[in-house]
Amino acid sequence: MAINIVVVVREVWDTRDLSGSVLDGAGAVRAGAMETRFEPEDLNALEAALRIKDAQGAQVTAIAVGETRSVDVLRECLYRGADKVVRVGADPAGLDDQALAALIAGAIAKAGPCDLVLVGTAVPDAENSLLGRHLAAALGVPAVSWVDAVEEVGPGRAVAKRAVEMGYEFVEVPFPALLSMGVALLEDDPRAPRPAKAMLKLKMKKAEVPVVSPADAGAADPAALVAMKVATMEAIAPRVIESQQVDPESEAALKGMLDAVLKGE
Amino acid sequence: MPNVLVFAEVNDGVLHDVSLQCLSAARQVAGAGGRVSCLLAGHGVAGLAPALVAAGADSVAVADDERLAAYVTAPFAKAVGACLDANPADLLLLAASTVGNDLGPAVAAARKAACAVDCDGVAAQGGTISLRRAGYDRKVMTTFVPAAAGLVVGTLRDGAAPAPAADAARQGAIAPLALDLTPAELVSKVLRRDVAKKTVNLKDAKIIVAAGAGVGSPDGLALVRELAQALGAEIGATRAVVDAGWLPADHQIGQTGATVRPDVYLACGISGAVQHRVGMMDARTIVAINSDANAPIFKIAHYKIVGDLKVVVPKLAKLLKA
Repeated sequence: MAINIVVVVREVWDTRDLSGSVLDGAGAVRAGAMETRFEPEDLNALEAALRIKDAQGAQVTAIAVGETRSVDVLRECLYRGADKVVRVGADPAGLDDQALAALIAGAIAKAGPCDLVLVGTAVPDAENSLLGRHLAAALGVPAVSWVDAVEEVGPGRAVAKRAVEMGYEFVEVPFPALLSMGVALLEDDPRAPRPAKAMLKLKMKKAEVPVVSPADAGAADPAALVAMKVATMEAIAPRVIESQQVDPESEAALKGMLDAVLKGE
Repeated sequence: MPNVLVFAEVNDGVLHDVSLQCLSAARQVAGAGGRVSCLLAGHGVAGLAPALVAAGADSVAVADDERLAAYVTAPFAKAVGACLDANPADLLLLAASTVGNDLGPAVAAARKAACAVDCDGVAAQGGTISLRRAGYDRKVMTTFVPAAAGLVVGTLRDGAAPAPAADAARQGAIAPLALDLTPAELVSKVLRRDVAKKTVNLKDAKIIVAAGAGVGSPDGLALVRELAQALGAEIGATRAVVDAGWLPADHQIGQTGATVRPDVYLACGISGAVQHRVGMMDARTIVAINSDANAPIFKIAHYKIVGDLKVVVPKLAKLLKA
């Protein structure tokens, strides 16, 4: 029987090519200075879910919290092959992972039976990578984190390849279970993540995205669930590095560099 | 003064050095009036308890149990919970490893506690515990405080606190911790482990020559090896090189590998993804060789060599031998 997979997806600030300061004078994030992107580890989680669907059939549901800023991650999921999407109608700003987990767990419960929940391990812009753990606790299911690949699926269990220091562990969990995914699949496989399909884009462009309210998700006041809050944000002064270009063609330049480096200059 | 519990992580019979750093951070936060206790959990680990007392623990609870032989979240979280129930703490500190970053949030989630992972520092002022963490690609330092009174959970990065000075004369209570595990807590199983034995000591190396995906093949790696030999350096690697099977995992530097601070770090064919950078960015001098002039590694390199490493690396080796 085809299994039910839920993938949690997030739209996050893209800090990779950011130049200048992330913060304004008041210590708030300068929204205009950054683009957003599909959280790369969530994209990996989606890819893992779609591979399970390709291999043995699965119903894949994607869930996100909040309105789209510029990248509609839920529609991106539909364009790649997700069967269903659900938006939780709450503003994630100011919520920690504990509060987000309560909202998402409520939405998952409303979406129907679920065997496997996949979520990205870390979020580069939000400040903690705890969503998977909090979500597992809210759902009351076992979880494995730092999963680089889902090795085996079913019947009734999954085997996750978990990255640990100096290698890997292969961990078996019974369904329902939650796996927090890393980025390895995306880094190592040039075919991943799969691109959006033109046909699905045409078909899904106007598809309606159902919205679950916080009250429906059983967390009418998610702000009351916040356990950890941000006190201050300060810009880290960029490291000023006295940097010099060394001409690879010039033996003298290379020799000079080696001498300087080895003398500790 | 706050009471602190430190989870002492053990890998292959060795205490994690960041767990020991957590003990020195705990000692500092607890001050004169606070108590620092430690949980030592695993199988065949009891003999390590005196080292934790010497490193600053006032008491050590030892959960030595064959069901804890491999790390699985639920039974370890149960052990931490039992410790906290017996001796309530204001702060739980763990190493920001793949164990600590899993266990800390699991305990926090179960107890609705405030939690931050991968922290660069912890402090207690006026009864409030705060955790500092670098985010936004390490461009912003965020300070977190709990929204309400209660337990705070933090995991600390390597180097966030100094290694404690061991004092064999320190006194501390060592007591066993009994674990009552339910079948539901034992449903996850580690089927097998594929973990390298440690044969290189990257942490104490003065010079590291590191290979990235840009070496392209075992032949490319051989050139890097030759340069390392000429320099008397250890060889490091990115995850891509380890996953390709060109070097064993104990050579890996970065988020799931070693964090190193050598005098000289020579990056060969390394693009410089943040997962790698966090493990080597504190090297005193960084030399980067990469054919892509826009590779992020050049942003933190003191010496930039834009060129084909298959040409540049042998040239450097030859100059050193001359």
